[in-house]
Amino acid sequence: MADWEELAEALADYMISCNSNERLRKMQRDWSRTLHFVCSDNGTTFSMEVERGEILSTPEGHVGIPDIVVSTHSETFCDMFWGDLNPVQKYLRGEITVRGSQEDVMRLDAISAVIWPDA
Amino acid sequence: MPDSNAKRQALEQFATFINPQKVRVLKAAGLDIIEAERSGPWVWDVDGAKFLDCFTSAGSFNVGRRNPRVVAAAHAAVDHLDQGNFLLCSQAKAELAAKLAEITPGELSCTMFGSGGGEAIDFAIKLARGSSGRPGIVSAVNGYHGHTGFALSAAGRASFRQPFEPLMPGFVRVPFGDLDALSAAVDEHTAAVLLEPIQGEGGIVMPPPGYLAGVRAACDRAGALLILDEIQTGLGRTGRWWASEHDGVVPDVMAIAKSLGGSLVPISATVFTEELREFLIPNPFIHLSTFGGSDLACAVALEVIAVIEETGLVEHAAAMGERLFAGLHAIAAARPEVITEVRGRGLMAGIQYAEDSLGPRMSYHLARHGVLAIYSGNLPSVMRLMPTLVIEEEEVDFLLAALEEAIEDLVSGAGPEAAAPTRPRRRPVRAAGWAAS
Repeated sequence: MADWEELAEALADYMISCNSNERLRKMQRDWSRTLHFVCSDNGTTFSMEVERGEILSTPEGHVGIPDIVVSTHSETFCDMFWGDLNPVQKYLRGEITVRGSQEDVMRLDAISAVIWPDA
Repeated sequence: MPDSNAKRQALEQFATFINPQKVRVLKAAGLDIIEAERSGPWVWDVDGAKFLDCFTSAGSFNVGRRNPRVVAAAHAAVDHLDQGNFLLCSQAKAELAAKLAEITPGELSCTMFGSGGGEAIDFAIKLARGSSGRPGIVSAVNGYHGHTGFALSAAGRASFRQPFEPLMPGFVRVPFGDLDALSAAVDEHTAAVLLEPIQGEGGIVMPPPGYLAGVRAACDRAGALLILDEIQTGLGRTGRWWASEHDGVVPDVMAIAKSLGGSLVPISATVFTEELREFLIPNPFIHLSTFGGSDLACAVALEVIAVIEETGLVEHAAAMGERLFAGLHAIAAARPEVITEVRGRGLMAGIQYAEDSLGPRMSYHLARHGVLAIYSGNLPSVMRLMPTLVIEEEEVDFLLAALEEAIEDLVSGAGPEAAAPTRPRRRPVRAAGWAAS
């Protein structure tokens, strides 16, 4: 089980990877979303604010009205944000649940594919 | 001969020269199928795996894949025809247009050919605007009519439209099935209402009883045209030649495509009344298509229609549909936690799952049991089942058995195994999650 401190570390790494990736920023320039995350094992919640492809913040707790809500084990979130697993496989096993549009789910996977091409 | 190397190479080339993310998504979903042999209702992956094709390129293979009669007609056509000069008159075009006038309802009697469904819809909208002098087009939320200019403007899914806006002005969308909303939207500025008689991509959404007749009446009151998109629903798919027959409604313009090409050639047709053709009399060259209604494609399409007529395929689709729906309803009753509704007509079935992720997940599990079925793009919680119309009883039973087994796998938590990492993990060593995940 990962605590908030470790999740925050993973999120910070993810945010730097995304925001410093010019290719990704260009690809995602039409994507502005509020994402909510729920850790199914320890109840930790956090948010991500994306504005025209740039991750603006990843605060603890739920902030704003979500376009997408993603739920899974805290360990899976950490591995996902560090690019140590392919989230689609977890999704297809029912271990990651996503409420939101299918396009947004695919965007999340595309982000992973661009910043972690070997995941 | 199964060839896994051919598969790997095809996927690599596809990723390099077409789209890597498409390969990644399909691989993850267990749908990285490279079609090799195809026959009747079946298709084989290049690695030898066999699938009952229940996607059929969104209903494009009504007469089966590589139907022997249609293949023979194509061979015969290739022996003495080519695409033909689009600007000239053509015997093949004339014969197919005459046949379409015979098999379409009411006063539909004139045809403009195209090469795909979007082109057929584009012309239908051009004809409506050109003949009426009105700009307005009313379509449905979650409707799907293709990705070309006018057709995209009518699309009911915002994510298809938004990256390309501004699109054509004058388009309004109303909820499908809400006659009051549609009636309020149709007025003296409306050139046409454009609808699918059953929404396909939208999730096999049935029109409420009396809805299409009410739409027809609303159009008539406002002097607007009714365009019905029978691209997925037509040519016997629902157990009638046209899905709109179930509702006793005749449109002013009908768009036909997909299965008209017999799984071999691209062709579409926009069929309309003689009254609407008046617009084209002083404008005979106002809409042209190099490949639309090529001589080769017309020869194939004529044979497709002959196969449907002479083998009783429409009635067969109705009978197989009854068997399919009986089985689907039984499975739904036994698995209410997974399936909340079954809907459709003939061999156009939609399985409404309990939540969105079950569409992609069931596509994965069905593929493991030899069924190729894809969820609806506009409503991922719905699985579309649109097998070929040549499907037989034992194949319907195969599909139902596969569905039961796939649901078993789903509820047991089966799914794709994570591949072993091929490089050092990025996550710092202090974390203990790698092994667990």
